[in-house]
Amino acid sequence: MGLTARARLSRRLGARAAAEGGFTLVELIVTLAILLIVVASLSSVLVSATRTEVDANNRFQAQEQARTGLAQLTRELHCASSVTVTNTAGTSLAAGSSGSRIAATVPSSCTTSGGVTLFVTWCTSASTLNTSDWALYRVTSTSAAPLCSASGTVKWADYLTTSTPFCLPSTTAACGSPPVLRPSGSLPMLHVTMPVNLKGPTATTDAYNVVDDIALRNGTHS
Amino acid sequence: MTRPPRRPRFRHQEGFTLIELLIAMVVLTVGILALIAAYSSGYVALNRATRVSSARLVADQQMERFRAVQYAAIKLNTTCGTSCTEDATFTGDPAYSSAAQVTGCTTTDSTCLPTQTTTGPDGKSYRLDTYVEYTCVSGTLTTSPSLSCGSGNPYPVKSVTVVVRSSTLTAPVREQSTFTTFPGN
Repeated sequence: MGLTARARLSRRLGARAAAEGGFTLVELIVTLAILLIVVASLSSVLVSATRTEVDANNRFQAQEQARTGLAQLTRELHCASSVTVTNTAGTSLAAGSSGSRIAATVPSSCTTSGGVTLFVTWCTSASTLNTSDWALYRVTSTSAAPLCSASGTVKWADYLTTSTPFCLPSTTAACGSPPVLRPSGSLPMLHVTMPVNLKGPTATTDAYNVVDDIALRNGTHS
Repeated sequence: MTRPPRRPRFRHQEGFTLIELLIAMVVLTVGILALIAAYSSGYVALNRATRVSSARLVADQQMERFRAVQYAAIKLNTTCGTSCTEDATFTGDPAYSSAAQVTGCTTTDSTCLPTQTTTGPDGKSYRLDTYVEYTCVSGTLTTSPSLSCGSGNPYPVKSVTVVVRSSTLTAPVREQSTFTTFPGN
């Protein structure tokens, strides 16, 4: 009785084993070789796609940073009581000349001043991310507008391809290209040019040129 | 004790049929295409975002110009010939109202031009439409016999709407701001 049962079981198992068609080594190797070719060609596509994606993302981020920097600058200068464009050393420049630094006085009533009369500097300094680019910094003081070399600078934008983004146009001295004159009878305005390019200043492609004329709304019409 | 007869191992192996192979290749292709589509849609979305924020900057820049000029200078020039033409796209915009439009500018400053073409920060070309209309904070605007919002209501204010259009934008980028007169402005 027991013997017959065992024999039946073993027959069943044997039949099942025989029905399983395995792969031969040759088949396996051929399959792997084909798979390797497919994966290799696919991975090169994926690598280049990922690289492009990362590049596009970085570019978008740099542009976004420039826009955010400009928005913050606009918010601050709308309330500033006086703005001067200077060179790196802090010497004031004439209307129509581009400078690397602006010194603004922000009254205590302004939202960005923190309740005290604040002397704010916006300036460019060599970028730490790309050797031939520039970065936009903001630094404040309660006594006098500091230079860009002061401690406590906060970076607001990077990858600028110009070191002199600021210019105050007058009714006769224009700023930028195409030239911008201040309309007669209007508020003073600051012409800001922030070209952004991850590839550096000499690149001819992928430039993103953020330009704005910020009205100094606390100024007087003239 | 009976043993089942051993079957030879390598006789009854079946290869893949052409159909099986084709199905496998189709499945693989669909997978690869889906992967590529994911990348390309990411790229398209990024480009579209760049276009929209570039258009937004163009609109911001135009609106900022209005902040600098005096209240009296906020008006359009509709009589300077070809560069002041108000075409169907301009007049078809909800912000346009021929009766309430503020005109009288005699210069071709960019605050005065109803329609102009400008280059955005991304180097692409954008159409910039500017609408300057009288509007009422309360009351209903009447233009004749004189400009008024009805008795007991404040004098009409100027509403500036900037619309940036481009064929590559899914919808025009709009910005609207109201300007009032204050002493010194």
